[in-house]
Amino acid sequence: MRVDGVSVQCGFELMEKLECRLGVHNLSVYYDDFKALENINLLIPCKRITAFIGPSGCGKSTLLRCFNRMNDLVPGSYVEGSIFFDGTDIFSDNYDVTELRRKVGMVFQKPNPFPKTVYENVAYGPKIAGIKKKAVLDEIVERSLKRAALWDEVKDKLHSSALRLSGGQQQRLCIARALAVEPEIILLDEPCSALDPIATQRIEDLLVELAEKYTIIIVTHNMQQAARISHFTAFMMIEEHGDPGRIIEFGETSYIFTNPDNEKTERYITGRFG
Amino acid sequence: MHRRSGRLFGENRLGAPDPHLFLYDLREMGISRSVRLSRIVKTPDNFVKCALFICSSLTVFFVFLVIVFILSSSVPALKELGFKNVFFSTKWSPNVSAPLKGNYGILAFLNGTILTTIGALILGAPLGVGTAVFIDEYAPVWLKGLVFRGVEIIAGIPSVVIGWFGLTLLVPMIAEITNTSGYGMFAASLVLALMVVPTITTLSFEALQAVPEDIHDASVALGATRWQTVSRVLLPASLRGIAAAVILGMCRAIGETMAVQMVIGNARQLTFNPLTRTSTLTTRIVTDMGESHGVFRSALFAQGLVLLIFSAVLIIIVRAALKGRALSQ
Amino acid sequence: MNPKRADRIATVVFWSLSMTTLAALLVIIVRILSKGLLKALNPFFVFGKPEALKAGGGVLPMVVSTLYITVLTVVIAFPIALATAIYLAEYTRRESRLTRVIRLCIDTLASLPSIVFGLFGMSLFVIFLGWGYSLVAGAATLAVLSLPVIARSAEESIRSVPDTYREASYSLGASKWTTIRQVVLPSAFPGVITGTILAIGRIIGESAAVIYTAGLFVRKIPLNPLRTGAPLSAYIWYAQAEARIPDFRSVVDGGAALLLIIVLLVNFVARKLASYYREKKIAG
Repeated sequence: MRVDGVSVQCGFELMEKLECRLGVHNLSVYYDDFKALENINLLIPCKRITAFIGPSGCGKSTLLRCFNRMNDLVPGSYVEGSIFFDGTDIFSDNYDVTELRRKVGMVFQKPNPFPKTVYENVAYGPKIAGIKKKAVLDEIVERSLKRAALWDEVKDKLHSSALRLSGGQQQRLCIARALAVEPEIILLDEPCSALDPIATQRIEDLLVELAEKYTIIIVTHNMQQAARISHFTAFMMIEEHGDPGRIIEFGETSYIFTNPDNEKTERYITGRFG
Repeated sequence: MHRRSGRLFGENRLGAPDPHLFLYDLREMGISRSVRLSRIVKTPDNFVKCALFICSSLTVFFVFLVIVFILSSSVPALKELGFKNVFFSTKWSPNVSAPLKGNYGILAFLNGTILTTIGALILGAPLGVGTAVFIDEYAPVWLKGLVFRGVEIIAGIPSVVIGWFGLTLLVPMIAEITNTSGYGMFAASLVLALMVVPTITTLSFEALQAVPEDIHDASVALGATRWQTVSRVLLPASLRGIAAAVILGMCRAIGETMAVQMVIGNARQLTFNPLTRTSTLTTRIVTDMGESHGVFRSALFAQGLVLLIFSAVLIIIVRAALKGRALSQ
Repeated sequence: MNPKRADRIATVVFWSLSMTTLAALLVIIVRILSKGLLKALNPFFVFGKPEALKAGGGVLPMVVSTLYITVLTVVIAFPIALATAIYLAEYTRRESRLTRVIRLCIDTLASLPSIVFGLFGMSLFVIFLGWGYSLVAGAATLAVLSLPVIARSAEESIRSVPDTYREASYSLGASKWTTIRQVVLPSAFPGVITGTILAIGRIIGESAAVIYTAGLFVRKIPLNPLRTGAPLSAYIWYAQAEARIPDFRSVVDGGAALLLIIVLLVNFVARKLASYYREKKIAG
């Protein structure tokens, strides 16, 4: 197989050392008759940040939402192919979606704390998982908030409404809420698109920190963001309106951004379209 | 072992995505090789869903019950007296001791219902639609909420209270001015006009609000006066909604009972004079039900059946006008 | 006509139409309260026993009947209405033929004249089931009447809960029912309660549906729900229609004022609650 010299050296060797517990295989996603994604193949490296970039409408979010089967909520959606998580296809018939979603946390585009107190927001996940003891919950809340770098800011107002926090704080609260159920993977769907630059900076720092413990997949519009924080990048695109989204290129971020294989990737990166 | 490209998956310079490459990986990871089509299974909350479904089907069951019981109770009258003698006769002279000997023609009351409803709409529809347009377009900000709240308050006033108001204030006033008893369809229409205003106003207002702001702005930007904007843009654009509002107001007027009963005079005669005592379907039911039995009672239920059909037909028209958009009141 | 002039005329017309509406409201309230407020605030009237033939009777059993029947109605109607609303808002994102039928039935039920409910309740509960004129027959009738009203407003409140809350909950591994119970319903709660209280206002004011199901006149406070009751609104109608008591005018004046005050109070509470919750939601 003819391969590009540079990518063999670096891209491959890096991947070889990494453990991958999440793999997408020949995945296509449909909304009724509309094919949103076609033939996606991907491995997600553990404890690294993987970014999905691409023009809007290319199916980045759809792909992201496959990992915790949030697309189930869209009526008329179905998938072909598989996503393997620790060796099991998450689309198999008896797969426990609830369990999956506990292991694969998600943070959304707009901060969406529940209209409850800060404490209740973080404790929500553990509570529905059956943890009732207050002491345990207290500990989880504190730990999660600390990990989300929010503890110092909210420790005095744990019992006031989460909606009173600033946008950036709300988003970090959402991250804390996702962390509280002890996930292994965190999905982030353009988590900074509704935030100002300073709040964005804090979230980015946090993500880099979190990547030491968690596998992170982030969808972003912002190429600088992908370049700054992610270890791996998948570039997605649709050919024409109405076509399904495909992965054009996937590899180590530094290579995707400096020396992409694909012409389309290069054009996108350099801002010539999309 | 086969060495692979740094662009591990997806399309690379070599062309199409290479699934074999990928499968190779999966096997390495101890993942079974399977290509399968799976339909997403819905989270099984089936028990809850079932219970909720049963509860919501109760509504259908209730409608069914209402139809069955009103229909079955009016069958004796239609059977014993004949369809024609009930619906096309103006003679209503019940015989309490021997019900079968009386006459039970409801045409006079049907006439009363129709005329009072028309009267109510002639007075109430301009008032209701006008108030809605006023709130939407003309009212200064501080007045909008006040007028809207006021309309909501009218909607909440119990009909016996409005009836008592009509009986003690409007009827004597009409009597004074026209030198009649004061009771009759005119008084009923006045009272009803007031009662249909909230329905018409809130629903028309909703329809006006649904008109996109930019259409309105476009008209204003072209130099149209407020009235031109209202008459040429807003009203035509919300016509269906306003029509639905008026029809629902009509529904309310046809079905209103107690307030009308208190001011219409309750005579059993056919009249076209708005200042003469007469009855409507609803008021006749209330007035006579207490002492009725047998065919007499059944004839009252037949009037209920007419009301049921009226409102069912009207609601179907409204739904057609709104094309399945949810109604809200 | 000159457009400017037409515009001025239209402005005057719209102003006068809406002011007529407001004036009518004002006249009714002033009239009813000026005639009956004193009586309605008189404890001997509110807490007095009614008289059948003499003057000087009160309306306590009627007020109690109204309260009793309202509570019973809500107890019957609220769970069914809430379940219907949850089903329609959460489980039928796609309109099927079945849900369209349910919706049509709700709309139909909501627009039926109350007298038709009265007839229905009379033939089903009073006669067919043999409950007689009783509080429970009246409450059952009113429950069928208020069911669509409560269900609609509850559905609207549930639908207005942002989808992002649901997504967040699902993403944490909550099941659908858990999400509804823990996130959707608490957020929709203020709207649901407001809608229910507004429906209560309507139940209290309702008379045509209860006079031939619950009853018109009682002398003693009804304790047994299987006994005849006399909701205040029904009694007001009865007192003026029969005019047996010599002071019926003053009794009806007082009763009407009392009923108006209760209903306005109920509606006021509903609105206040709604705005209180709206503020609380933001301010915490």
